[in-house]
Order: sequence, then C-alpha cells, then structure tokens
Amino acid sequence: MRPRTVLRIARWETTKGVGGLDRGAVAVVLAAAAFVVAFGVVGLVGGVALEDGIYRVGVDEDSPFHDPVAADDALAAVDPSPAVVDEGLRPGEGYDLYVESGPEETRLYLVRRDGEPTDKSLAALAAFRESVEAYNERRMRSEANEIAAFPVVVTVEFVERGTVGGSDDGGGGTGGDGGGGEGGGGDGRDDDGSLPSTGGGDGGRFGAPSIGAFDLFGTAGTSGSPSAIAPPFPFQSLVLAFLFVLPLNFVIQAYGSSMLSERLDRRGELLLVAPVSPAEIVAGKTLPYAAASLAIAATVVAGLWLLGAGAGPLSVLAVVPLSLLFLASTFLGAMFARSFKELTFVSVTVSTALTTYAFVPAIFTATSPVAFVSPLTVAVRDLTGAGVTPGQFLFATGPPTLVAGGCFLFGLGVYREEDLFTQRPVHLKALDALAGRIRRPRSLALVVALLVPFVFVAELVAVALLFALPVALSIPLVLATVAVIEELAKALPVYAGFVNGFLAEKLSLLVQVVGLPDVAVADAAFQTGLGSDSPAAVAVLALAPLLLHVATATVSALGASRDRTAFAASLALATLLHLAYNLAVVSRLV
Amino acid sequence: MIDVRDLRKAYGGIVAVDDVSFSAAAGEVFGIVGPNGAGKTTTLKTIAGLVEPTAGTVRVDGQPADAPETRRRLGFLPEASPLYEEMSPLSYLRFFADLYDVPRDVADERIHDALDRLELDDRHRDRAIGDTSKGMTRKVAIARSLVNDPDVVVYDEPASGLDPLSTNYIVEFTRELAAEGRTVVFSAHDLHHVEAVCDRVAIMTEGRIVASGSIADLRREYGRTEYHVYTTVEVPDAVAENGRYRRVVEGMDDVREVESAAAARGGEVADIRTVEPSLEGLFLELADPAASADRPEA
Repeated sequence: MRPRTVLRIARWETTKGVGGLDRGAVAVVLAAAAFVVAFGVVGLVGGVALEDGIYRVGVDEDSPFHDPVAADDALAAVDPSPAVVDEGLRPGEGYDLYVESGPEETRLYLVRRDGEPTDKSLAALAAFRESVEAYNERRMRSEANEIAAFPVVVTVEFVERGTVGGSDDGGGGTGGDGGGGEGGGGDGRDDDGSLPSTGGGDGGRFGAPSIGAFDLFGTAGTSGSPSAIAPPFPFQSLVLAFLFVLPLNFVIQAYGSSMLSERLDRRGELLLVAPVSPAEIVAGKTLPYAAASLAIAATVVAGLWLLGAGAGPLSVLAVVPLSLLFLASTFLGAMFARSFKELTFVSVTVSTALTTYAFVPAIFTATSPVAFVSPLTVAVRDLTGAGVTPGQFLFATGPPTLVAGGCFLFGLGVYREEDLFTQRPVHLKALDALAGRIRRPRSLALVVALLVPFVFVAELVAVALLFALPVALSIPLVLATVAVIEELAKALPVYAGFVNGFLAEKLSLLVQVVGLPDVAVADAAFQTGLGSDSPAAVAVLALAPLLLHVATATVSALGASRDRTAFAASLALATLLHLAYNLAVVSRLV
Repeated sequence: MIDVRDLRKAYGGIVAVDDVSFSAAAGEVFGIVGPNGAGKTTTLKTIAGLVEPTAGTVRVDGQPADAPETRRRLGFLPEASPLYEEMSPLSYLRFFADLYDVPRDVADERIHDALDRLELDDRHRDRAIGDTSKGMTRKVAIARSLVNDPDVVVYDEPASGLDPLSTNYIVEFTRELAAEGRTVVFSAHDLHHVEAVCDRVAIMTEGRIVASGSIADLRREYGRTEYHVYTTVEVPDAVAENGRYRRVVEGMDDVREVESAAAARGGEVADIRTVEPSLEGLFLELADPAASADRPEA
C-alpha cells in the first residue's frame, strides 16, 4: 500500500463533496454537535438542574431550617409571612411549604385544597426532609469527633458473583462494635485511625466512584448511614458512552453513505480501473472518517481534562479500537447492502450492537472484570484514576481491533467489480467475502485466523450480556451460545473448522490474565479452570477441545458435502455435540 | 497490442464469455458487436482489468491486463459513466490524473486539450458535473479516459444515450484516437457507426465470437450479394414498386430465371441492381439466424 496514494484518495474523499454541501444541512449538523457537547458537559459538570428552586419554602432567616433549605437547589427559601398561615395555607399564596420555628417546637404547614394537602406540597415536604437529613449528615461529618457523630459504621464491599460464598478475605465485615467482622476493621477505623471514606471509587466501598478530585456526582457528601447504601450507579459509564459513542453514529452514517454511493450506479468502477489497489481505495476513503473519530475522542478527553477529570491519552487509545470497529462494521455492511434502505438497516444494527457491546460491560466497571470486555471500561478507569494494567488494556482493546481488521479484510474480499456493482443476495456476498480470501489451500489458515477474533468477541459479549442473570440460567445459556457461535464459525470455512475453534480457545489464556475466570459464567464459557486438575487431567482436557472440534467439524463438513438441508442438520448435530461437551466439562470444573 | 486468448468468464453457473480470442494492433479500431447479453461488456471489462477471467488470458503489450503498469497505459470508458456529480469537471479530471501520477502541469495541459477537442465549453469546466447535460457528462468521462495519455483505449458504447450530433462527434473522435496510434477497442449498438469506424469487427452472441475480421472479409465469408431485378410485368415472388415489379434473388442463375419468366409473360427486365450485404445484415444473419430467416425480403 502506497501512503501517498492513500493520502490522495483521503484528500479527495474529504474535499469532493465540499462544494455540494448544503449550508443549511451543515448548520443543522453543527448545531446538533454543539448541543451534544453542551449537554454532555452540562451533564458532567452540573448535573441536570430542572428542579432548581421548584419548591418555595417559607422559612425565617433565623430559623435553624433556613440553612438546609438554602443549601438545597430544589428548595427556594422565601421570607415568611405569618398572616398567610393563620387560616391555613392555600394555593397561590407563594409557598409550597411553610416552616414556623418556635423555641419549643417547629410547625410545618402544607398547602391545602379542599382540606387535603396538595401533591406539590407533599413533594416539597419530602424534599425538605431529605434536605434536612443531608444537612445534618454533613454537619456530623464535619465534627472533629467522628466516633461521636457516627457511633456505628458499616463498610460494604462489592464482590463478584462468582466468588460469593467462596471468598475468605473477610470483606463485608462490620466494624465499629469493637470486635465484629473478620478483617473489616476491628474498631471501625482504618489503620490511620480515621473512618473509612465513603466516597472512594475503587470498587471496594459503596457510593458512585468519583473522578479523582473532580467530584462528578457530589459523592463527597454521601451519607454513611445504612439507608444510603446502594450499588454504584453507572451514570459515569452512561455519560461516557454518550460522549464517545454517540458522535460515532454521525461518522458511520457519513462513511457508510460514501461507501455505498461508490457502488450504486457504478460510480466507483473507474477507481477500480485506475492503477490503485482496492486496499488503497478503502484506506483512503476510510482515513478521513477514522481521523474524525479520533478527533472527536481527543476533543472529548481534552474537554474532560480541562474540567478537571483525570483523562489522558489512554482514554483516546481505548476509544480508537471502538471507532475502528464502528467503521469496519459499517464498511462491511456497506459492501453487503444493496440500497440505501438496506444500509440504513445495517447502520442501525451496527450502531445498536456496538453501543451495547461498548456500554453494557462498562456498566460493571467498578464491580466485575467482565467490564473489560469493552474498551470503554479502559477509558472509564482512566478517567476515574483507577489505572489499567497492560494485560487489561490488551484484553479490552485487542479483540475489537482484530475484529475491525477482520471486517476490513473480509470487506476487501468483495471490493471488486463482480460484487460491488451487482445485486447479489447478502448471504452470497458474505460467502464471497470469505472466499475472496481463499486463493490457495494455505490461505484457509488466514480465513481461520481472521474468524478467531470474531468468535472470541462474540463469546465475550455473550458472557457480558448473560452474566447478570441467575447462574443456574446464565451458564447453560452461555454454553449454548458458545456452542452455536463456534460451530457456525467453523461451518463457514468448513474445511479448516477444527483449527478455528482450537485457536479461539488458545485466546482464553488471555482471559485468565485479566481475572475473568473469577466470574463463574466466564469460567464456564472459556473453561479456564484447568489449572485445578492433575497434569494428566490437564493434558486430557487440553486435547479434548481439539478432538471435539475435529469431530464437530467433520460432522458439519459431511453435511455440507451433500446439500443445504443436510448441512443445516449436521450443523445442528455438531452444535448439540459441542453443547453436550461444554456441559460435561463445566459440570466437572464449576 | 491487445491479445485475448481463450477467454472464459463464468459467474457461478452462468457463462458470460466462452472461448473468446482476438487481437487488436496499434492504430487499429476493433469493434465488438452483438445483441444484449452477448458478452461484449464482460469482454471489455476483462481487457480493462476490472473482471478476472475464469480461464484464458488477456494481455496488453505482453503484460496481464490487471497489472498496474497495464492500467497506467489504458483508458476505459464504461457504458454508463456516473461521475461524482458534486465535483467540477476540472477537479474530477485532476483527481484521476493524480491517481495516474501525472504531474499537475502536464495534467492541466492534457485536460484542457481533451476538453477543447471535445468542445466542452469553458464555462462548464468549473461547474458541478451534476449541473451539466448528459452529453457533456459523457465528454468529461471520455476526457477522463485520456488523462493518462493511454496507448490502449477501451470504450463500451461510447455514444450510449447521446443525441445523433453528439454520437457522430464521439464516433469521429474515436477514429481520431486510432489515427494517433492508439489501439481502440469498442462496442456499439449502432452498426452504421461500427461499419464506418472499425477496421475489424467481432460479432458475439451468447458469449462466443461467431465471426470476426474486416468488414470486407465478413462480407465475403458470410454475406450474400443480392440482386434486385426489376421487371415490366409481374413475375412470381415479385413485389410491385413504382409501376414495376421487383424480385430479390441471389446469383446470376436466378437473374436469368427472372428474365425468362418476364419474357414468357410478354415483359422484360427493366433494371438490375446489386446490393452488397450491410454489417446489420451480417449481424442479423450471424447473431440471430432465426430472425434473419424470418425477415421479409425487401
């Protein structure tokens, strides 16, 4: 591939449509982009402020309740007018709640209509109570004598489901009673004698993690009382997914349209006649969109960095594979689609599937190694200052990068006149994409190697999506999914199927590096529990997958050599065999 | 310059081109004619390196058709030429010249020269291609095929969809290209133009070449010289025409038979005209013998 030629095509791809762009459309796109950025930044920095001052509370400045009301954005302190409560508080008098503080007691007046408190007044009362409670918590937290403020402290540690019942680390013990709980902190203090922080974000304690000094969610003020204990809410991941992934949808729409427009009406035919290779054409046409994706990720990270988050180049690097995967999937889809209607379907499917792939695992950033299935988790951890090991980075970004490369290579297999400009059915084009890589017997190995990351990522995503279900349900489902994925992948290049499955399993070594086997479902999927057996058993179990894949590939190949019906039947039989094997191994290991 | 040997192209179970062989020399215009689906376009695309042969070889000056060096020396014009409508002719042609590594100053000279020869008005050169007429778009497409100053020009229906004036112009232009020493291979539906421009012709049907050679050779080998015999009285199988009767026969024996028949009825032969076979006649004869047999003699 000649870089100069690629750059020429990239420059052409960037500039060819400039003259034809409608200014109004550009303005709308820019406005939408500005809105996305503004909404994201506002959401990150200040949260949603729709409730500001929504409840008007009549409270005297001298009242001890004035400060709690003033500190709560949802409440607006209004000067009291005692006359209005003499005959009961009614709607339209400027109050939703009225606080009358006396030396002995405090009276709260609700707004009533026909003798019944109004809904808004009741809501104002609830907000007022929460506000006062939070205010008191903050006051107590600021006390020098923490033991006096919090005589009982509960420390909660979240552990992975796979280790529930098997953990012996003493996590979850209660402290503060002078003796309870193993390892939980005998007297309720940490080693330095202070109380444990409740706002930490390292996954060990409750509360949503904060982004370093950048207190994104105001967790520093979270109450330490038992009523406030809640699992970490994935708002951070949600916002990041929003910021990183949403703009990619704009990019892939433009990219997919450009690719498809080369095919419709044979516009790209003349490029194929020119002395440039299909790889150079595709690289040149993809480069501007890849650069745009990178620029978006860099801009988001830079913006977060300016706002005080611990964002760095690692976040950008983590998003690059995701961007490539979006582009590669769109490219492959645009090669298969026969019209803009089909391309729209493809784009939506790609967008939904990859957003799910990026977002769902990242939800569990603070609680489970499953999160590392998504590259977005690396960005989240980078932003929270949690740190990422090289193994975790490789695990999160390697498979999507390889899959992206595979998609580009398969797409290039059909980037030729015979497939680009014809209305061949999608499944035939898919076969062409595979066959396009097979020019001699040994190139089968390349096709097999290209399919391995697809199998691996598909299985990881299955684990990430299913592990939240009860184990009794999720393990059989994962095993069945794995069997289907692997048998399908083998059946496509059926001649070398057993090698494919074998190679895919070798990647499970990487699974062990990031600790995914701690999750029971992942252990079942990748059958990584071999280390607990004797050497002989390990040898048998290491060779067993190879034998299994040889057997199932043979079954599929026999069916494929006959006709489509026989192939479908043999594929189903191979899948059942695979599933039976998986169940047998898992029942032994898990 | 172009050597096609035993070319075969199959799409799945459908054979588009089968056992096609021909060659074309420098300065020669080689035409390929045939009905729709005869395999003309597939043959031309194979020469242009767009389509990979299932079997056989296509060589340009001894090099494979899909070799990068061959592509640099070849100009291809597909039947449909949807260009990038948002680009202007100049930017479009400069981009392609860039792809062929033509220096900018040389490219500009060639582009303007080609557009001048094709009589594309200056005011259209900077407008978006989408805003120009179909004829102008076709001229831009032809100019694109020349930006690399090719030795071999492969045109598929160069005058497709154009008005007669533009068609004549482009056909003449094709002749000029050959006169400059380029090898020109093209297909056309309008057989009159093929007859006027081509040095040699191949007639294809159902993926095969059924006849090839110069027009004169084809006439000699496949054509039937017809004699239109006009008589003053009605004779069998004659049709009335301007007060006389015309009967079409092949060979002098038939002429003498008509002469005898007219004499037997008290008349005589008033005129005899010799009609050489047209390419269209040959085409109909060879490409669709059934249609040829059924066509009326007149």
